[in-house]
Amino acid sequence: MHLSNEEGYWRPRERRERKLGRDANLESPGKANGHLPRRPCVRQSSGAGAPGSGATIFALSSGQGRCGIAVIRTSGPASGHALRSLTAPRELPRARSASLRLLTDPRSGEPLDRALVLWFPGPHSFTGEDCAEFHVHGGPAVVSGVLQALGRVPGLRPAEAGEFTRRAFAHGKLSLTEVEGLADLIHAETEAQRRQALRQLDGELGQLCRGWAETLTKALAHVEAYIDFGEDDNLEEGVLEQADSQVRELAVALDTHLRDARRGQRLRSGAHVVVTGPPNAGKSSLVNLLSRKPVSIVSPEPGTTRDVLETPVDLAGFPALLSDTAGLREGQGPVEQEGVRRARERLEQADLILAVLDASDLASPSSCDFLDTVVTPAIARSPNGNGQRLLLVLNKSDLLPPGGPDLSPELPPHLLLSCLTGAGLDGLLEALRKELAAVCGNPSTGPPLLTRARHQHHLQACLDALGSYRHAPDVALAAEALRVARGHLARLHGGGGTEEVLDIIFRDFCVGK
Amino acid sequence: MFSLRGCGRWVAASLAKQHVPPPARLSGDSASAAPGTPRYDVVVVGGGHAGTEAAAAAARCGSRTLLLTHRVDTIGQMSCNPSFGGIGKGHLMREVDALDGLCSRICDQSGIHYKVLNRRKGPAVWGLRAQIDRKLYKQNMQKEILNTPLLTVQEGAVEDLILTEPEPEHTGKCRVSGVVLVDGSKVYADSVILTAGTFLRGMIVIGLEMHPAGRLGDQPSIGLAQTLEKLGFVVGRLKTGTPPRIAKDSINFSILNKQTPDNPSIPFSFINETVWIKPEDQLPCYLTHTNPRVDEIILENLHLNSHIKETTKGPRYCPSIESKVLRFPNRLHQVWLEPEGIDSDLIYPQGLSVTLPAELQEKMITCIRGLEKAKMIQPGYGVQYDYLDPRQITPSLETHLVQRLFFAGQINGTTGYEEAAAQGVIAGINASLRVRRKPPFVVSRTEGYIGVLIDDLTTHGTNEPYRMFTSRAEFRLSLRPDNADSRLTFRGNSSLSLPTRFTLLSDLSHVLSCLLLGCKEAGCVSQQRYERASWMKSSLEEGISMLKSIEFSSSKWKKLIPEASISMGKVVSIRALDVLKYEEVDLELLAKAVPGPLKKYTQCRELAERLKIEATYETVLFHQQQEIKDIQRDEALQLPKDLDYLTLRDVSLSQEVREKLHFSRPQTIGAASRIPGVTPAALVNLLRFVKTIQQRQAAMNELPKTGQCDTDRLEKRQL
Repeated sequence: MHLSNEEGYWRPRERRERKLGRDANLESPGKANGHLPRRPCVRQSSGAGAPGSGATIFALSSGQGRCGIAVIRTSGPASGHALRSLTAPRELPRARSASLRLLTDPRSGEPLDRALVLWFPGPHSFTGEDCAEFHVHGGPAVVSGVLQALGRVPGLRPAEAGEFTRRAFAHGKLSLTEVEGLADLIHAETEAQRRQALRQLDGELGQLCRGWAETLTKALAHVEAYIDFGEDDNLEEGVLEQADSQVRELAVALDTHLRDARRGQRLRSGAHVVVTGPPNAGKSSLVNLLSRKPVSIVSPEPGTTRDVLETPVDLAGFPALLSDTAGLREGQGPVEQEGVRRARERLEQADLILAVLDASDLASPSSCDFLDTVVTPAIARSPNGNGQRLLLVLNKSDLLPPGGPDLSPELPPHLLLSCLTGAGLDGLLEALRKELAAVCGNPSTGPPLLTRARHQHHLQACLDALGSYRHAPDVALAAEALRVARGHLARLHGGGGTEEVLDIIFRDFCVGK
Repeated sequence: MFSLRGCGRWVAASLAKQHVPPPARLSGDSASAAPGTPRYDVVVVGGGHAGTEAAAAAARCGSRTLLLTHRVDTIGQMSCNPSFGGIGKGHLMREVDALDGLCSRICDQSGIHYKVLNRRKGPAVWGLRAQIDRKLYKQNMQKEILNTPLLTVQEGAVEDLILTEPEPEHTGKCRVSGVVLVDGSKVYADSVILTAGTFLRGMIVIGLEMHPAGRLGDQPSIGLAQTLEKLGFVVGRLKTGTPPRIAKDSINFSILNKQTPDNPSIPFSFINETVWIKPEDQLPCYLTHTNPRVDEIILENLHLNSHIKETTKGPRYCPSIESKVLRFPNRLHQVWLEPEGIDSDLIYPQGLSVTLPAELQEKMITCIRGLEKAKMIQPGYGVQYDYLDPRQITPSLETHLVQRLFFAGQINGTTGYEEAAAQGVIAGINASLRVRRKPPFVVSRTEGYIGVLIDDLTTHGTNEPYRMFTSRAEFRLSLRPDNADSRLTFRGNSSLSLPTRFTLLSDLSHVLSCLLLGCKEAGCVSQQRYERASWMKSSLEEGISMLKSIEFSSSKWKKLIPEASISMGKVVSIRALDVLKYEEVDLELLAKAVPGPLKKYTQCRELAERLKIEATYETVLFHQQQEIKDIQRDEALQLPKDLDYLTLRDVSLSQEVREKLHFSRPQTIGAASRIPGVTPAALVNLLRFVKTIQQRQAAMNELPKTGQCDTDRLEKRQL
């Protein structure tokens, strides 16, 4: 009995919306038709976004960096609905022509921006589905506001890596040659998202997320155990009650977090450029040179920099967050060891690595070790320029003997620089410009905004699902709500398989006969 | 008609239903076989729960089938627990039944205590279960098997496979064309299904004693295991166990907790209204518990217990009493005392699976409450056996290595009668389809627990005996015991839920229509069942639209059904379907309020109950359906079967991904996406590759017009 066949997404728009409204009413019969429908408890499908998927996705599709206008795109059947929600109460604009509209937050009614909007009904659109474009003024506050407003429109969710392109491909909108680069693009986007997620999860939010996911998985495992083994195995008394109270606490925590006005963590926008190298290679000198101010203390003593020092800079016209890190070497006391650990962690999150070596000291064990463990693997990981980028800088060129440097021919491509004299700086800036153009040209690497929208979207959806857990008429439906909630958290921190749940069941309970 | 020219020791070729014409066979078919050598379409090796289902399914599909078993009198033997079904397992039985499999119908004729588990936890997780009379089950199963048209039964142990050159249009390094028995005689076959159970190098363990056996008193298969290993199959080792059996009259039931069966009994099969036995004639079960003395005996004697010390993987969920005591010390563990049959004098102590030396087993038993004077009739024992890594088979259960060779049951690393039966049906249908050169019949994990089971096995493999749980099914609310017929019985007609996946890939539609044709022609479902399922489906659809069309204000509903806690919201009108969602409202109550249009739906108990269930899950299913469509879309994207992932040049893949794909050989993009470690980027590369191939094929077939029409037609049916 495929009940919902007759209510599938391939229906004319009007009918679909009516249905959506009605369904929402079924969930909370107290709400009148036409009011903001309660967000349906929808699970996210696993894996990369399916081609032609029924959900409607949105993303920032212009790159970061200095731009007057940012472009936000949606694709999917609810695009028209999204467009009207933000421009309410106006009708859809004429297809494929730009119209000026005031964008407002559909929930609060707050004005967001006066923007150009475009409406591309499928199949004549970039992806072949209904698409909408919002050309908004490029400031972070506006972009962030619009993304968050879209995330609150029912049926919309932030796009996964490469999802727009994959949909376009599935709808026959890309030729096979155009698709050549698709996998690379997806790889780059996935990598960029991963790095971005690492940055976000690095802090307090990350710890919170992991904690929530653990609680939720455990609660789910206990409910699943109650379903699969509750009948004739001796689960301890109160398994369900315990899960209930865990879920209640979790809902309170999520709600508090979402209401917290300070939740917008400091946006560390810009490309993340991390300076790394063995001790005393001149990393801090390079940071000071690039930022044109004494950010880091410089001394001839190895191991001077012990923590990560961040400074926002404008590098060759691109916004960047420059991080100075401790020299990589094995233990010299606990403080420096911690510095090295943080340096390595920061390295993981970098969009661009500036690897610094002392040109006059290339044969030393620390230099060789650095080349082997950091430089070579990073170059090997991104054979065609995807993933993390790396520039190898040989500092202290002023110490090299005159008459040309005597460098090993096996050295990877590199730049010569003297932080002392400034020789080679122009070459370095030119190389940085090229690299940063590539990094920032990729819209998904500018995602503090997008990431925040993603976080909010999934946390809100998780909270909504926990709400349906409490109101579920039977345990199977309650478990389903927890599965949905867990799926949303998994989007933020990874994980989420069935095996994990079974492992907890068999760890916590003596079940089976 | 099927006189056996071979040298089987025991033949029961039965054609009770003479009016069923055997399918026409090409006379040239048997020409290649040596004169006097028997030849069949499908040969099934093994007569357990997988083998019987496989043989019957192949025969139902119209294939001349031979079932080879060590002993005819052990066909349908329940080697372990005297029960069928349970949570998750009951779901599998309903699905086997929807495909006209045997076990559900046989259980409706052989049960002695029917009880639905999880009654209070929502209809999606109800677990149909029954204590089964071993003797009756075996008798009824043998009667069914020996009366199945086109199915012949022969005794004999298979020692080797007959292999020939592979068919060039398929993958695999050779093709199976028959089996060699222990006595050297041969049987030729177009497809062979192995359902060897625990017989592959089976070893029985009691205490420190080990001896080769597939089951207590039965010889293991050693030659066959060696043949498979030589062919290059990756073999693993698993273990399982069974509890001792106790004399019924030596148990003091009067001091134990008694459990009575359901009244009325809910039958397993969709085509049965009732079961063979009245609830009052059914037997009770009793509950007792272990105690610290049991722990002591086990812990003191670990050195005498080689099964427990072995590193071979046993199941975590069907643990022996030893592993329960070791992992969860100082607890009381449940022991269910279950009758083995209506007139059996044996009791099966479920929960006491043990491999201690026999005399210590009896000592342990007698310190349990109610069993103080218990007499042990047969000791518990452990079995260790070979299984083949199931990533070596396709979702149709054919092996990648050997064409036309199918595996089903414990040989694939599963445990449980129901898991075996489910694979048996699928293997039987597919072996038959393969012989007729039809596309395979694959159940998706969005369509059934059978799909979940096979997809899990073929994409992840398993390193412990795999058992079904409802928590394994991500679409649990859609895959319910009540609607298995709607999901599977018409797979032939309603696999038309496929087409939306193809709306955008019209070049694939001809592939699709072939596929549909295949399901229809699988023909594994009887007319009677088909008609009943069709009636139920149309009644449900009619009932649901009726329930949707009746709308009243909430205040009117409150007056009509004061029992229901209908909230007085601002909603202008509420549909009858929404009222039916309230826990305290059932169709009977609703029909009393609105008798005119609804009375007729209360006539059939099953229909009324199913309408209530559909209402309960309507909202959630609406959303789940979207996700199901997404997955089905990916599953419609077939990967070529003959890809050599290790050397494939046109696709950029990491070595790790190549090796994973090479071993599991996923058949669709969807299956590939579920293999751990296969990245989104790798998927897109594969997708692009598939698309290129499809374009090439479409160009070759040059059927753009027909393709379009097919899609349109299919879409219409879908709506």
